[in-house]
Amino acid sequence: MAHPDALDRLVREITTQVRWRRAEHYGLRGLFWGAVAAIGPLLFRLVLGPWALALAVVLLTAGAVAGVLVGLLKRVSPEDAARLADRAFGLADRLSTALEWADREERTRLVDSLVADATARVESVQLRQVVRRILPREARILPVPVVLALVLALAPPMPLPAVSLPDFSSSAQKEEARERGDGVTLEDRARPLTKDKIQKPVFEERDWNQKGATGAAATAGDLSAIFKDTSLANQRPDFNSFLKKGDERLKMLEQMDRIPDLQSDFTSSQYKMVFKKSKELKTGLRDTVSPQKLKELLEEMERLGRKSSGGWGQDVNEGMEALEGGNTDRAMDAMQKALDKMRAQDEAQRGGKNLRGGREADRRSGREGGRGDGGPDDQDFGEGEGSMPGKGKSGSPKGEASQRLRGNPYDVGVEGESRRGKKDGFDTNMTGRAGKMNSRLSYMGVIGQYKKAMEDAISREQIPRDFHGQIRDYFQALDER
Amino acid sequence: MTQDPRVEQFIASFQALRGEVEKVIVGHREIIDHVLIGMFAGGHVLLEGVPGLGKTLLIKTLAEGLELSFSRVQFTPDLMPADIIGTNIIVDDDQGRKHFQFQSGPIFAHILLADEINRATPKTQSALLEGMQEFSVTVGGVSRPLPAPFFVLATQNPIEMEGTYPLPEAQLDRFLFKLRVRYPAIEELNAIIDRTTQVRTVAVDRIMTGPAVLGFRDLIREVPIATHVRDLASSIVMATHPQWGQAPEVTRRFVRYGASPRGAQALVLGAKVRALADGRYNVSADDLKQLAAPALRHRVILNFEGEAEGIDVDTLIEQIVDTAVAATGQGKEQFVR
Repeated sequence: MAHPDALDRLVREITTQVRWRRAEHYGLRGLFWGAVAAIGPLLFRLVLGPWALALAVVLLTAGAVAGVLVGLLKRVSPEDAARLADRAFGLADRLSTALEWADREERTRLVDSLVADATARVESVQLRQVVRRILPREARILPVPVVLALVLALAPPMPLPAVSLPDFSSSAQKEEARERGDGVTLEDRARPLTKDKIQKPVFEERDWNQKGATGAAATAGDLSAIFKDTSLANQRPDFNSFLKKGDERLKMLEQMDRIPDLQSDFTSSQYKMVFKKSKELKTGLRDTVSPQKLKELLEEMERLGRKSSGGWGQDVNEGMEALEGGNTDRAMDAMQKALDKMRAQDEAQRGGKNLRGGREADRRSGREGGRGDGGPDDQDFGEGEGSMPGKGKSGSPKGEASQRLRGNPYDVGVEGESRRGKKDGFDTNMTGRAGKMNSRLSYMGVIGQYKKAMEDAISREQIPRDFHGQIRDYFQALDER
Repeated sequence: MTQDPRVEQFIASFQALRGEVEKVIVGHREIIDHVLIGMFAGGHVLLEGVPGLGKTLLIKTLAEGLELSFSRVQFTPDLMPADIIGTNIIVDDDQGRKHFQFQSGPIFAHILLADEINRATPKTQSALLEGMQEFSVTVGGVSRPLPAPFFVLATQNPIEMEGTYPLPEAQLDRFLFKLRVRYPAIEELNAIIDRTTQVRTVAVDRIMTGPAVLGFRDLIREVPIATHVRDLASSIVMATHPQWGQAPEVTRRFVRYGASPRGAQALVLGAKVRALADGRYNVSADDLKQLAAPALRHRVILNFEGEAEGIDVDTLIEQIVDTAVAATGQGKEQFVR
């Protein structure tokens, strides 16, 4: 039994309604995702140029059209359409039952009556839109990508952030490429450089020989700056490349005469410069003072005194007068007084940075009190001099022990003692409180415990992280002994 | 619209019979319809309600409207199966010889009113099992068919539980519907007072004969049902089973046993009668929803938690039906799929 036209017509009508509702539904979804995709080319307008806008429009349209097509082409089951019509028009499942049973072989007379009844009711139905509009979730947030795309389209092109992927190629490869002149044509090489192509030479390109020719002072200053340059390590991430190419600092170390005086560079003061020059007063091997150099030194001290009001101007003037009178010794004494005042001012300027404050200062003041105004030996040490063995002016070849030692009853020291016997030997004895203790722990017995305590302390993070390596190195050094 | 004459006749008979019952019974329109639906579907109906609501009167009136034999058995604890089925007795023939003769019980009637069926012992209650299902009884090794149509209408009192024997599940399952007779509204009560306290005799006309009932039963089975409506019926019945994978949460929580396949048969057959009585030639989903409670409420056995929390089986079934309808996409637009 063929379906009556009225039933099929209603089903077709409902099917069409479903298709259009689906087209709306999927069209909105497609529009949303098209808008999202359109943001991409609009972000890269600077790169894509006018193509960005065209591409965005194409993506937006393609998304919407694809969605509509999906909605229109998706299959609508006639059974579903019939059930929708049954519910929408109050047909109490007549339409769906009639359509299903009309084609059956075992249909009864009641089925014929059912089809006739359904047809009569369907013909009396007033067709209307019965399929509800179901908006997708994307429809709620559709304005967001659309507005964003519009804003991006109307706004000036967005500059792209100057970022690049990390360069994983080794420095050697890059240098080889640079030497080959990759990316630079012969024409470019021949063309004179324009202004904007002039770049500050990188560290490796500095010509040290040329710099060195300009003068020692300039060289020393530049080299100091180079040694302070911590960015150098970042330019050589590859250790092999570092070894191959070498570090200018290593090369520089080979040129002993050009090593900068780092100490004077960092710690030089007016007093030290003057003190250094006072040491150079004596010329050659003779123990005579050059009046000319002494005059120059006094003039410089006078000039410095004018600048800093250090109070040694009077002494300098006395020295100058004595020098003019031919009394070099008196001039030297006056210069020494001026030097003392200059040193006192230098000490005062160093203030809290003075490493020899507190007890050291007290000790010195007491000693000065006992020995009068002291001499140059009791002053700050000049370059190459100091308390290190062999460097000082003590008569003992090993120098004298620091005055600080045994200044405190808790200080522990070690004394050497020659032992005479069949076979001469040299013993080391502990001094101070530790030397008087009855019990002693053997080194090997306690070092393990100390190391364990050290590791525990490190693991409990009581020690700042930066000091961990240093502490471990110390204990490692103890092990090696 | 072409109307099948048999359908027209059925609708007219249905409405006439309902009208005759309503001459006596005030209100209870739904109960009357369901009783008639049960009868035309070929099933038995259990009416449950407190005394005095007219259950027995309803059945007696229905029997008067039908040209069918009617028996009434008042179930008591001392009632024996033979009192219902009948028994072989020794009789003398004309020649004076003695032989056994089957003395049929009250079950041999078209309409059997089993009043207060839960007052009889389970042994006596089970005497109805064969007759209700096989439409025959076996006495002394001889199976005797019951008259057709055979229709059991039973009543039971839900509140006087002392001295009663709740019907076993097997017995309950044989009832097509279980109807709950509710207390009448005040308007209906006024009408009952007016109708029963005045000198007025109400005569009930006989509307239908036995063969007509059987003919209508055949007609009922011709009513087509769409696949999705049949699937809904199956889903509703399956949703009463806590073991079913897609059973709703209420079922899993409160139900011990779900409805048997007889429940699905009752649901679909009742829906067919309801559709035809409503002038429709097909079963709709709404028919199933309306008949789910009477067809399933006595087939769903609550578990301990359900009993302890006093879960109303009708409410439970309502939720089950809603769940099944939603699961089969009956109640919402699914065109986007």
